[in-house]
Parts: sequence; structure tokens; C-alpha cells
Amino acid sequence: MPKPLKRKKKDGTTYERPPEIEAWLKKLETVEVAERLRQFATLSRKSIGYVPSEALVYFLRRAWADGMQGDFEKIFRILMKRIEQSLCSAISDSRMAGARGIREEIMDRFAERIAKDCKGRTGLLDFYEIRFDKAFAAFRTSALRQIGPTVVDTVPLGSDEDDGLEISAEVEAAASDFLGGDPEKLDDPAFRLELTAAIDCLPDDQKQVIGLLLQGFQIDSKDKNIMTIARILQCDERTVRNRRDRACKALKAILQEENAQ
Amino acid sequence: MTAEQHSKLSEEEVLLAFSVEPKHDRKTLEQYLIEYPEHAKALVACSIELMVDATRNDDAVVTSEDVTNRAWQRFQTVVGQPDDVLVTNPFATLNPTAFRSLAKKLDITNLLLIRLRDRAIVAATIPRRFVQRLATELGATAEAVMDYLQSPPAMVSGHSFRSTVKPTVTEQISFTEAIEMSQLTPAQLDALKALQD
Repeated sequence: MPKPLKRKKKDGTTYERPPEIEAWLKKLETVEVAERLRQFATLSRKSIGYVPSEALVYFLRRAWADGMQGDFEKIFRILMKRIEQSLCSAISDSRMAGARGIREEIMDRFAERIAKDCKGRTGLLDFYEIRFDKAFAAFRTSALRQIGPTVVDTVPLGSDEDDGLEISAEVEAAASDFLGGDPEKLDDPAFRLELTAAIDCLPDDQKQVIGLLLQGFQIDSKDKNIMTIARILQCDERTVRNRRDRACKALKAILQEENAQ
Repeated sequence: MTAEQHSKLSEEEVLLAFSVEPKHDRKTLEQYLIEYPEHAKALVACSIELMVDATRNDDAVVTSEDVTNRAWQRFQTVVGQPDDVLVTNPFATLNPTAFRSLAKKLDITNLLLIRLRDRAIVAATIPRRFVQRLATELGATAEAVMDYLQSPPAMVSGHSFRSTVKPTVTEQISFTEAIEMSQLTPAQLDALKALQD
């Protein structure tokens, strides 16, 4: 039986792994160590038999607890390769200045987290046994806030200096056409996927506004109890609208370009 | 967990807890924003990162053995350290010449560097881009340097004092105050102000 997690939620209950991860662990526990390591080595998510990274973290911690240094190092290296893959995609050289150094720093930090977990100091690795990709995206976000560039290099969209000023009717029309013109289109999973990928190309301030809009937040409200984008981002409602409009114009251009290819 | 314990959660812990929530919709984000207003910006960034991350494809990436080796070495270094050494003084190995040379490379005065070394500046007020530059010049990770800067101000051992009164730990000041009081040239001041987060 897989060992339960130790980390507690805010309500005092213990975190649990999703059933599919528990099933993977039970299955892998019956497999010989050498075969298990062979299965772990598959790097492509599309390959049949790809073992989820949540399971790698579990067996990594087990190997350390059981004093299996050799197995530990092998799993550590496989896990780090997966992390490098994920980082190269999220922090690509084309997207961010100094991307390589940033990726290395994040990997160093993750190696430190593993070391601290081995020493029983944090127990933060429990999160990675629940939803590895999501937890790592959170870890990366936190690290990038400390060491990443202030401005992410993305599609040029003009200056933000006029954040508080009204922008052209043309841009306003593009925005309403894009987000408000066809609500059904936004519900289309294929379009939403395409749109979400395009959002990744936006500068951070515009990405925040569009991301929050897509999550269902409204720009502004007279009701002070409603959490609005303007309140969350602590900026003027006009600034939010302008960022939205610019973002919509850029998104439209990106999607049109992609569809033309 | 009490509300008091909540406030002690680091940004990383809050984001990790958010990341493993079954749903990442408006309701979940709102809940976290209300509970952890001090981490609002990070939570918004994280919620969007989680959204776009699912659309990325990392299958075609070629990995490098060098990068894995580097991470393994980092792991071995940290795991081999006694717990009380986890916060190391990155300035400890610098002799006076190396110290002055570091100040020159950073284009700051020795006085400002001394304030940094002695943790006389509130760590949270130091621009992260400056911490990153300092870490690069010190050959340490930005996180290790930040850990050191965040640790309580203390008398730094290994320095000479000639005084009739017993030296004491000075009260911490903000980065803005520190740069105003560190005999910097106007150009140096402007450059440091431009680094503010």
C-alpha cells in the first residue's frame, strides 16, 4: 500500500493523492525495481507506458527513506530531465531574455527543495505527488517573480504609457468583437484552447486582464463586495479596459495569423 | 490551521496549495485572494500560468546531461550541509580586496555593500533584480542570497571594531533610505532607483 501524504490542508485534513495516482503507485509497487526504473525513463507524455511524474516523486522519496542511494539518483535524474523539458517549453529562449540562466536557477531551486525534503524540513514535495504539473507551474511562477525579467518579451503592442487614456474606437471595436461578439465561440473548447495558447504571447499586464476575464471576473462594479479585475490588480477601471482592448487586438492578430498558416 | 498560521505561509506554499485544488475557477481564486491578500499578485499570475501551461507541448524538447548534472550537484551540496548552515553568508569568503572589487562590479559604494552584508537593510525592500545581480557576482543562487539577507540582522563576526562602547546590532532601514545614505553618485543612485520592483 502506498504511504499516505503528511501535509495538512487548512481545514486540518490530510491531503490525498487523486485515485488515478494511487492506482499507478499500487501497480508500480508490484513491479521489480529495475523494471520500474526502466518505465520511469520514458520522457514523452505521448508514449504508451509513460509514468506520471507524481509517481516518480513518490518513489524518489521512498528510495531516499529506504537508503537506496543508487535508485534515488536514477529517479532524480529522470525527474530533472522531465523538469528541464517542461521549463524549456514554458521559458523558451525566444520568450524571455536570459532564459537559459533562469531555467538553471529554477532547476537548482527545485533540487534544493528535494534536498530539504530529504532532510525532513518542508514536506512541500507532497504537493508534487498530487498534481505534479500544476504544482511545478506554481513553483515556477513563484521563482519567476523573484528572478525573471520584469518585462516578458512578446509581440510588440505599443507603449503602455497611455494606460489611463482612452484608446481608439477601432481598438475598442476589435475588443468587443473579440470577447463579446460571439459568446458561443468562447465556449467552443477548440477555440478556447487556441485562445489560451495565444494569451501566452501577451505582455504580463494584458495577460492578467484577459486571464481574469476568461475566469469570469468582471472589470468593475459599483458593488464594493464584488471582487473585480480593477480591485484585484489595484488599478483604475479605464486602465483595465485599455489593457483588455489592446490584448484583444493583439490576440485577434495572432489567431488570424495562425489560421492563415 | 489557525488564521495566525495562515499568515505565516510563504508565497510558494500558498501557490502550491492553490495549484492542487481540484478546480481553478473564479470561485477558487476568489477564495484564495480573500484568504491571502498579501499574495494576490502571485495568485493571479499563478492562475493564468495554470491556464496557459496546459496548452504547451514539451515533447519535442531535447534535454542536456550537463543541466541534470548541475542539479544533482546542487542537491548533493544542500543535502550534505548541516541544517544550521543552510543559510550561509555569501560574503564570508571575500577578503577586503574581493569585497571592494565586488562593490565596483555592482557599481555601488563599499558603504552600501557593507550595509547589505551586515543585513542592515530590510530584505523585502531590496529590488529583486539587484539581488539577482548580487547573486551572480557572488556565484550563488538568488534564493541563497535572499535567504541570507532575510535572516535576522546580527553582528557579523570576523570584522575589527575599535570603540569605547560595545558594538550593537543596528536597526534595519529600507533600501531607498540605504541608497540615499551611502555616498552614491547621482548616476549610481539613478541606476539603483531604476531597478526598483
